[in-house]
Amino acid sequence: MVKQFILILLNILIVLILGSLLYIFYDKFQHIQNIFIKTGVVIVLFFTLIIISRYMFLLYFSIIKLIMKTSDEEKNKRVKTNFKVSIIVPAYNEEKVLPKSLPSLIAQTHPNIEIIVVDDGSTDLTYQIAKNYEFESDTKSLKVLTKPNSGKANAINYGIKHATGELIMVVDADSKLDKNAVELMAGYFINPEIAAVAGSVYVSNQNNLITKLQALEYVEGLNMVRNGQAFLKLVNIIPGPIGMFRKDALYDVGLYDDDTFAEDCDVTLKLITKGYKIDFESDAVAYTEAPEHILDLIKQRYRWTRGILQAIKKHKYLLWHFRKKPAASFTMWYMLFEAVFWPFMDIWTNLFIIYLSIISGVSILIFFWWVMFTILDMAGALYCVLVTGESLSLVFYAVFYRLFFIEFINIAKILSTFEEWFGIEMSWGKLERKGNL
Amino acid sequence: MNILAFLSVLILVITFITLIFGIIAYFLYKTREKNKPKYSSYEEILKDMGDEYIYFE
Repeated sequence: MVKQFILILLNILIVLILGSLLYIFYDKFQHIQNIFIKTGVVIVLFFTLIIISRYMFLLYFSIIKLIMKTSDEEKNKRVKTNFKVSIIVPAYNEEKVLPKSLPSLIAQTHPNIEIIVVDDGSTDLTYQIAKNYEFESDTKSLKVLTKPNSGKANAINYGIKHATGELIMVVDADSKLDKNAVELMAGYFINPEIAAVAGSVYVSNQNNLITKLQALEYVEGLNMVRNGQAFLKLVNIIPGPIGMFRKDALYDVGLYDDDTFAEDCDVTLKLITKGYKIDFESDAVAYTEAPEHILDLIKQRYRWTRGILQAIKKHKYLLWHFRKKPAASFTMWYMLFEAVFWPFMDIWTNLFIIYLSIISGVSILIFFWWVMFTILDMAGALYCVLVTGESLSLVFYAVFYRLFFIEFINIAKILSTFEEWFGIEMSWGKLERKGNL
Repeated sequence: MNILAFLSVLILVITFITLIFGIIAYFLYKTREKNKPKYSSYEEILKDMGDEYIYFE
């Protein structure tokens, strides 16, 4: 209760500070008379308001979700589900990470688990290594299937077709799960409306500035956002490292499709379109390896952006179905905003302020722009650290996060968007796992 | 020089450098990818890569 009270006070303080900053921002701009600049200012202010509102709403929703969850905690403790959960692990040349990820699945506290490793035609020792872990007991089992290589979506579908559980959990081969993750997520399926539950993803290899900034992005930009979306039961992407589905719902939407690079986003959209609810369990944690080098990070974001845009393009008819499918339409617009509008506006605003500084000599505007978002990032990071128990040092990284990290990512997103727009061909990627799980 | 003005100039310079560096890094990434063999299917990579491994990122 004290935690929630602190969070609410913190939020009121943020609103006051941001309000003052926004006013000063406006006041500084107001003195510039050029009509072109005035128009630019209006666009920047309008956009800033949207971003701040979006951020604050997600933060509030996230806090309300937390309060609701805490109040239900005692009740939830009594609810022990005995759903059979089939955990599908699609694996293509994952020999380095399987010895770290599979034991975390076997050690799950949920009593009724079937683990299915799908070797997707690997050319290394993935199959042999996974085979070493095969076992079968009364309540748990691990089996390894192998098939010719045909991509991740098909590998997952292959696993689902061989699964006997009522619930399907899909995890990446490089995901290491907390031991109670499955148990926590399975509890949500008592509600028949819930078709899927997403879990939290944390970065396991926080060993340099890039991975630390990604760790902050994961807890604040992804997990907090999902927690906020879960208030509306509209989580828009079930992350690859940890997601659980009702098997019937997956069959209802035709399982995973292999026509986009973001199969997780695509399947989530299909579920939302069918009217299913999607929740989020913040305490179900999966640790994943983040890119350690800048070019690998760009490569990852390039694929994410193009994959999401492909999924949006595939379901674009939903954008205008406000009346028939409001939830799906809202989700699509939200995704479009995150993937396209926000990166473009962020970079455009930075360029605009730089131009303004050069022609007018007023450089203080960029300070206010930066400070507003850094306060939001720090508040978000502080909230996440309080809730998740992540390292407090992540709050400090929020300074660098807005200073160059987000800008850098947004440039990659914009250029990837252009490539997707012009239909430049994408090639398959090769990810070198370091095994730092 | 007051602290706000100093910080503003500093952020401005960092923003400008980040923009330039971000674009350069993107094209470095594209060049790196271009220098790798092009494939249109997993099978082609498998033939060519031998023991090395590939996957979605």
